[in-house]
Amino acid sequence: MVFNSLAFLVFFSLVLVMHAMPFAWRTRKINLLIASYLFYMAWNPPFVILLWISTVVDWFAAQKLVHAERLAVRRAWMLLSVVANLGMLSYFKYGHFLMENFSDIVSVYGVHYVPPKWDIVLPVGISFYTFATLSYTLDIYHKRALPARKFLDYALFVTFFPHLVAGPIMRPTELVPQFEHAHRASRRQLQFGLVLVLVGMFQKVVLADTFLSKAAEAVYNAGQATGALDAWMGTLAFSGQIFCDFAGYSTIAIGVAMCLGFAMPDNFRFPYAAVGFSDFWRRWHITLSSWLRDYLYIPLGGSRHGPARTYAALMGTMLLGGLWHGAGWTFVVWGGLHGTYLAVERVLRCRFAGYRPGPLMLFALGMLTWMLVNVTWVFFRARTFGKAWDVLTGMFGAHGGADPILSTMLVTTTLLIVTGIVAAHWWMRTRTLESVLLRVPVIPLSLGMGLMAFLIVIAQGEGSAFIYFQF
Amino acid sequence: MRSSTSSSDEYSEPIATRPGFVRQTAADRPGVAQPVPERDIPDRAWGPIWISAVLLAVLLTGAWEWHWRAYGVTPSYRNSDGQWAQQRRRIDHGEGDALVLIGSSRTLFDMQLPVWKQVTGEQPIQLSLEGTSSLPALEDLAADPKFHGRVLVGVTTSLFFSGYAGRAAAISNWRKQSPNDRMGTALSMHFIEPYLAFYDEDYALRTVLARQAWPVRPGTHPYEDVRKLSLSDRDRNTYMWPKVVDDQAYRDTARRIWAQQWSGPPRPGMETSAKRQKIADAQIDRAVKAVQTLRARGARVVFVRQPVIGPYRAFEDHAEPPASTWDVLLKRSGSPGLVFSDYPDLQGFKPPEWSHLSHADALRYTALLAPKVERLFTRMRDGGS
Repeated sequence: MVFNSLAFLVFFSLVLVMHAMPFAWRTRKINLLIASYLFYMAWNPPFVILLWISTVVDWFAAQKLVHAERLAVRRAWMLLSVVANLGMLSYFKYGHFLMENFSDIVSVYGVHYVPPKWDIVLPVGISFYTFATLSYTLDIYHKRALPARKFLDYALFVTFFPHLVAGPIMRPTELVPQFEHAHRASRRQLQFGLVLVLVGMFQKVVLADTFLSKAAEAVYNAGQATGALDAWMGTLAFSGQIFCDFAGYSTIAIGVAMCLGFAMPDNFRFPYAAVGFSDFWRRWHITLSSWLRDYLYIPLGGSRHGPARTYAALMGTMLLGGLWHGAGWTFVVWGGLHGTYLAVERVLRCRFAGYRPGPLMLFALGMLTWMLVNVTWVFFRARTFGKAWDVLTGMFGAHGGADPILSTMLVTTTLLIVTGIVAAHWWMRTRTLESVLLRVPVIPLSLGMGLMAFLIVIAQGEGSAFIYFQF
Repeated sequence: MRSSTSSSDEYSEPIATRPGFVRQTAADRPGVAQPVPERDIPDRAWGPIWISAVLLAVLLTGAWEWHWRAYGVTPSYRNSDGQWAQQRRRIDHGEGDALVLIGSSRTLFDMQLPVWKQVTGEQPIQLSLEGTSSLPALEDLAADPKFHGRVLVGVTTSLFFSGYAGRAAAISNWRKQSPNDRMGTALSMHFIEPYLAFYDEDYALRTVLARQAWPVRPGTHPYEDVRKLSLSDRDRNTYMWPKVVDDQAYRDTARRIWAQQWSGPPRPGMETSAKRQKIADAQIDRAVKAVQTLRARGARVVFVRQPVIGPYRAFEDHAEPPASTWDVLLKRSGSPGLVFSDYPDLQGFKPPEWSHLSHADALRYTALLAPKVERLFTRMRDGGS
């Protein structure tokens, strides 16, 4: 079920009513669990079995882990969890990719192998709930957390519908304790949760889907060489679209959880005002970047084993992060570019350790960061390296005589909206949405919310999927 | 709950250099168990703020609805992919022997289902899709072993023989519809579409904005999208929107949009008659194969060309000459075909914008056409051709 659909509107209304009923806490949690399974089954009912497998395997692995004394036994249970989860993820998400690459490799040695047709649908959200459940066993393995006391709490942690299919990727220690004690949403939580839902919907339905998606599609689906203006506008439109789409989803998810009385962490903190790439990754998809840091980068050695190992860990983490987003080499290159940026930044930070930029230089560095991030979006958005190269070279003037692609309207709206997004990120750079809403006068606040609701209605979004569902 | 003993890492910047954030995230706490998040709620009078916002939204939406109703728009079903899928599923649900209408907008607008039922006693399933060759739908029926009925294949030559299928996704995706999609369609059809006039793709924010008089960017050839032309019922019975008939300016707009096809540059790959013929031959090959599959299952197929006049007819006859397209299709498929211009009583209809009949004419045309088509089906059943 997608948040921006009529079906969700009805579903969420029913869940809110059920959750507000004077049932016992355990009953209300069971209601939430059933609702979450229904939410997931609204896409493809049989795939709920994968969710159950992941839930049960990690529950038992964690139970065994915590009672095991010997390191080898603990490691075995941890590996069982990792293999089971990543095995399912690999099969469904990377099976076709692996077979294709195998075919390409053996063809180099003269072996003609045609992989069988891979007609398997990717279960929605598998990358997200796999990481959520893995964090459960890994935290227990690392003795950072104790296992959940009740299976119901753990199952609800895995399945809780606001975060289930596209994050924020929750850690068990963030959510399980919230299920342990009875509580219900206060009126203020409900009211402000709905404000967040409204803001997220506006980002997704109006900014991403109505205004920005067309320009990105037109440029990246064009079967012609791309001129500089179109290449930049198409890429900027995508940078705005993916932010509004994903940050919009996260904001709605946080709002929905708040309406039910639960807290979920921030997933975005105005990333297009980042200065440097380490800053960018602390602002963009925070729950994924911190997951990769805690469960991949640090175990790979982090920065504790000398420069060479640090850079290798950094690059390995980002390459795998790229692959997490999609089974394709363009995603790997996207990750590789970010790894390279982080490595170069690290070198520069070491060399200019005492340097503190003034406000203008800070802004200049921020804009440089944003431009370089846009370059990476080319590989993220393009379906092939050919298209990525066409757009990338187009951005730097290689196709001077190319026929224009985008209409005046698309160029204008893209420029206005993306400029607005970047300006808003700089203004909000050291603020939170809540701290700003605290100071906005009542009338503009009401007018803004009313206008956003009106624009969502007349945009007539048709329940288009969020970009990150495909990951 | 235990905390991590892992050392902090320079992957994260020291928190002290990041003033202003009133709450931390996992980005600020490397290598530790993350605590329950804290979310602050701004201390505002959210109740009154929400009431004002909702009132404003309702007022603005009401004004928007009033504006489009004043323009002549009335509530109508959206002719969505979900609605198409609903009708398509009827074949799976016991109507495998039904009469199915497939075609483009002419078959959608010109065939009036209640009249057909009145004349023949049977209400067909309407699966035509505007701006879409009927070939993908024909292939879809051919691939469905549950279907063994009769098919009226509307042939708009400029679409059928060029292979253009703007809404082919409705056909390729209908089996993949999720429960969420079905529920969304049902809710929309029950609670929104019958009541709100503005809930129409032609009046969506993006469409309305795109229609404004933006300066033309040099070097681009903006193509004006087809405007709203029809109203639809729940069962996809569709007919021309009265505004097209009654409003001269709107009708001229519709004609100007059609004229882009013959006044603008040809579509890529269709620049010469040789290229067009090659594409047409490929479409005919596919159609013949589909008809053979259907016939082997006992299904019967009749091709029909609906009325078209003026420059539109001249364009189609020039771009896809009947002798090398339509005639070949009938000969190779062995299926009977019916052209409006071959029957005196089907001539003389004047589609207001050259391509589709007015509602009144569509009612009359259907009453005249239905017996002719039924006779062809009967003859096929009885062994004639």
